[in-house]
Amino acid sequence: MFKILRDLLRYNIEFTIGFILTLAIFLFALAHFWAPMPDSAIYLLPPDMPPSAEYWFGTTSRGQDVLWQMSSAIWNTMLFGLTVTILSRLLAVAVGMISGYLGGRWDQVLMTINDTMIALPNIPILLLVYFVMRDSMSWPVLAATAALLGWNYDARLIRSVTLSLRNREFTRHAVFAGMSMRQILVRQHLPYVMPVIFFTAMNNLIWAIGLEVTLSVLGFSDINRPTIGGMIYWANQHQAIIAGIWWWIAFPIAAIVLLFLGLFLLAISVNEYIDPRSRLSRMGA
Amino acid sequence: MDGFAKYLVRRLFQCFLVIFLGVSLAFLITTLSPIDPVEQTMSLMTSFGATDPRSVDLMREALAELYGLKGNFIEQYLSFWGRVLRGDFGPSLSAFPTPVMSLIMGALPWTIGLLMMALVISWTLGNLLGALAGYFRSNTLLKISGAAIMALNPVPAYIIGLVLLLMLGYIWPILPISGGAQMNLQPGFTFDYLRSLVLHGTLPALTLVLGGIGGWFLSMRSLVSNIVTDDHVVYAELGGVNSGKIFSQYVARNALLPQLTGLALSLGSVFGGAVITEFLFNYPGVGRLLIQGIYRGDYSLVLGVTTISIIAVAVAVFIIDLIYPLIDPRVRLG
Amino acid sequence: MLFKKLIAAALAVSALVAPAFAQDFIAGIPRNEALIIQGPAAQNAEWFNLWAPGGGASTNGLQQLTADTFWFINPEGTGDAAWTNALAADRPIYNDDFTEMTVKLKDGIYWSDGVEFTADDVVFTVQTQIDNPGMGWSAPFTVNVKSVEATDPNTVVFHLNAANSRFHTLFTVRWNAAWIMPKHVFETVDDPLGFNNNPPVSLSAYTLHSYDTAGNWAIWKLRDDWERTSIGMTLDAEPDVKYVVYRNAGNPDARVIEQMNHNLDVINDIAPEGMFTIARQAGENSAYWFDGFPFAHPDPTLPSVLFNHEIEPFNDRDVRWALALMMNIRSVAMGSYRGAANLAALSTPPTGTAIVDYYEPMQQWLAEFELDTGAGTINPYDATISEQVAALVRPQWGDDIPDDADQLKRMFGFGWWKQDINAASQLLQKAGFIKNGNQWLKPDGTPFTIRLMVEGDNIPTLARAGTIIAQQWSMEGIQTTVDVAGPTNGQRLGAGDFEVAIYWTVETWGGHPDLSFFLESYHSSYIKPLGENQPPRNLQRWQDERLDALIEANRKISFDSPEVVQLGMDYLKLAVEEMPFIPLMAYNKFAPFDTTYWTGYPSAANPYAASGPFWSNLRYMIVQLEANPAAAGAQ
Repeated sequence: MFKILRDLLRYNIEFTIGFILTLAIFLFALAHFWAPMPDSAIYLLPPDMPPSAEYWFGTTSRGQDVLWQMSSAIWNTMLFGLTVTILSRLLAVAVGMISGYLGGRWDQVLMTINDTMIALPNIPILLLVYFVMRDSMSWPVLAATAALLGWNYDARLIRSVTLSLRNREFTRHAVFAGMSMRQILVRQHLPYVMPVIFFTAMNNLIWAIGLEVTLSVLGFSDINRPTIGGMIYWANQHQAIIAGIWWWIAFPIAAIVLLFLGLFLLAISVNEYIDPRSRLSRMGA
Repeated sequence: MDGFAKYLVRRLFQCFLVIFLGVSLAFLITTLSPIDPVEQTMSLMTSFGATDPRSVDLMREALAELYGLKGNFIEQYLSFWGRVLRGDFGPSLSAFPTPVMSLIMGALPWTIGLLMMALVISWTLGNLLGALAGYFRSNTLLKISGAAIMALNPVPAYIIGLVLLLMLGYIWPILPISGGAQMNLQPGFTFDYLRSLVLHGTLPALTLVLGGIGGWFLSMRSLVSNIVTDDHVVYAELGGVNSGKIFSQYVARNALLPQLTGLALSLGSVFGGAVITEFLFNYPGVGRLLIQGIYRGDYSLVLGVTTISIIAVAVAVFIIDLIYPLIDPRVRLG
Repeated sequence: MLFKKLIAAALAVSALVAPAFAQDFIAGIPRNEALIIQGPAAQNAEWFNLWAPGGGASTNGLQQLTADTFWFINPEGTGDAAWTNALAADRPIYNDDFTEMTVKLKDGIYWSDGVEFTADDVVFTVQTQIDNPGMGWSAPFTVNVKSVEATDPNTVVFHLNAANSRFHTLFTVRWNAAWIMPKHVFETVDDPLGFNNNPPVSLSAYTLHSYDTAGNWAIWKLRDDWERTSIGMTLDAEPDVKYVVYRNAGNPDARVIEQMNHNLDVINDIAPEGMFTIARQAGENSAYWFDGFPFAHPDPTLPSVLFNHEIEPFNDRDVRWALALMMNIRSVAMGSYRGAANLAALSTPPTGTAIVDYYEPMQQWLAEFELDTGAGTINPYDATISEQVAALVRPQWGDDIPDDADQLKRMFGFGWWKQDINAASQLLQKAGFIKNGNQWLKPDGTPFTIRLMVEGDNIPTLARAGTIIAQQWSMEGIQTTVDVAGPTNGQRLGAGDFEVAIYWTVETWGGHPDLSFFLESYHSSYIKPLGENQPPRNLQRWQDERLDALIEANRKISFDSPEVVQLGMDYLKLAVEEMPFIPLMAYNKFAPFDTTYWTGYPSAANPYAASGPFWSNLRYMIVQLEANPAAAGAQ
């Protein structure tokens, strides 16, 4: 696996850029554990200060340091995104692989359910859930709901990969050798599916973070917990754009765009890697 | 045509299944709501005017009768389905007694218009550019525009919309930033009204297009670059067929099929993007209706909009599924 | 070559559309004759029935411009000038024991469809709402009115079920009131609750011109026979404003942008930051309540920290006073309103006639007020708070802040309670609380924690205030968390499902010293147990015998009697001693006006009318506005 990583870093410029961007932002978010003040405290610093030597990214109208707020915000947002991605990967992999491997009736039933859920519009349902749960809505609940809505597309993808693997020689050997379905799926097929999982995970992460930003911007989440969407929400509450406090909005947006760019580059470069023809053509063959 | 009929039945069944599941889900979620609609209306009515406390009780009883909130879970579920089939979601609580359905019907054409405008533009443009980029791989102009489009792809619709709002509505105010059409203009097929519609819809549609075009571009480009190495294309090139003809007849046409499927699958998320965009630009569609309903705690409106959007998306997917066999002969022949 | 075709097509489309920018902002209506006001999106655009539930508080111009009733009180006014006889020719005439009220109506008033307004319309209004429960004023009429009759076309006599010296307040507009229904329209309708009254017949100077079926705008036009209305009769010349447009201008950022583009004349409310931006960038073209900082208009509503008296330990006066003394009101003012807050220590909003009738005369008493902390006595009142806040905002606003102490008091408040942590600690100890390290413990040994409820999005400044107060209490050892209630706010307040909340339970006429507008509902006979809905406005469920005595005394005296002020002061003193809720400030609204097309808006220097778009008294402002001769023509 590390060999693949090293190859990608060396030969694939998109992967390298994506990797560096994502890592940089991750480290930036990690820094919030060493922040000099609690992240939900307000009015501790002089408000509305523009970026300067003392406050690198300026301060907000609520008297917070934009730099440290962003650090916490990115961490919380990424945590939410990762939770959604991991949960939905588990579902997608389970359903996709089982469906692809078993085929027949199982495949039909699972895929019907899958396709049904794909056609559901996500945002209205999520808004409905928020509307109903309101006070008891916390971010794990929201993450779980989003995960339940975000696995469908990828399950199909994984299923098609598994389908092609099913008919290969080594699968038949494993079956004759007496391996159970679970063993075959995990030990034989999973390594082939991994790159696809990774690719879909990156996409899903982008989707989940975008979802979090969208919901928070509308105020539909715990606004006292710093998240990227929450920062934009508060900036809007204080009419920062009109008031000229551009740094409050610009820096979080820049951060999220960079993060998305990084994840996105990672995703497409791995996707390209999966296809042997393009991998070879990239390496000059 | 036998294959076509089988296909049709399967798709229709799928459509009904989606509607059934989605609507039941929506109902289930809503029954968990802690909002009491009577108390909501009471607080709306009494918050500013002078009220005699003795009168408040009388008001409450009268309202509870009017809103008709009775029965246990199963009864409510069955009566809910009855109402859905009749198209009657009851009166909107924040706009009492206007029926929810008429509010939705008033807003739906705006959303459909916006979505169609945005989808058509981004799907065609995205696929076109993607196909060109996939086939003419060494063209620099395509490469640059490709990079720009890809950079925009992951950015959430809200942020794109916000930037457009500022650039074209505030810093350089050339486009209107709220409303669906000019005020006091008679709706109709007049040139003035249509022009006003286009003007007001430009920023919202542009937001959706910029956010959505990247996806189509990328997938089309990779599809085309795969097809390009297929035998039948190589054969045609070797055979000296005109490259324009190869592009449109051999390559693009085959690549369109999965893109069409992709269109159907993406309708759900495009609708989500429209919700946010409508809210940002105050566009009078169902998205804005939904968000306002949530802010005002109007649960019958929220339930109605969610249900209708589920049904609308399912029907739209079905319609796209109908187009599929017209293009792909394999389906027709079963 | 494909690209070239695409570009050519795009250019062609934009060329077609480009001439659009030369067109009117509103089709077919000259801009310099139209006043554009910000209103919310009307959910039920086709509904014009003010008397059905939800319709009485209509906010798109219907009640502001077309409805009428007997009397208006100018919430900004003082003394006699604040009272306006609208449909009535004179003040209400009561009999000696307040069981009968006679109203004389003006002559020569016509509905917009040419039918004359008479006493029969009034009788119809009352009788119909009594006969159809569930209408907007059914309940108060049913409770109060035994019978009503028109003794002649211009006189109405009400016979009441019980003595009520405040019965006329039902027909007195402060924000809205019981509007008169057109008999000739509604008598043909089977179910007045289901009738949408579209198009509505108007009794005041404007009538419906057109509206958006999606609810985004409504346009009202001056009637041709505008002199035949109660407001038209008082005018010398035709109002300059021919059209009034209520439009939904989007979120607060969009509102500011629209006003700076001169497409919005009157904004209802925006965040302080938005207001400051407009003041800085569009200064010459805009007007506000105060010329400079703090700009804001104080509504006669009193946001306060409400305590739920049914929940321990908030029923203990010492605990309430301790929490008040822990607060640093300067930070609250700076944080919620950026300093532009009009602080209030008394239980009545510091606006309109309250300044003259209550605030000024009571300064002496407040300064001398003593509080027994258990370990001594203190004088908690600080009359210099306005100067302290002024000092905090002077660095940013410089010359805008006057030096005159009197003016500062009117801007920032007459005074508030000094932050006194020591005294607060002593009071808590007196109540049996113990401090363990940095944590206060209740007498039963459990940590003292508080859940502070705020509404949230709808009123962001109050949500900010709540967050700051929560932080202040937490820093002093009482862990306080903020609960954002959103649309469930009204419900939870009514049911008593809260410990402490930021909201208002005091609203006054503004233009009249009588406090019965809110005080009447504070009588202990109206208090409901927790879980049952408490009718407004005593959401804190405060009861006190002395309070009941005051209310009962007030019921027996006439509305305009000078004793009203005396009783008012007695109430205010009681509220200070008991601190049933902590008054914070007047509900400041940041409402900028664009003077590009219209001038003559009311201001602190000239408070001739209300200026809030949803207040029905707004009509008195609209007819006084003058067209700005420097404005461009139709564009």
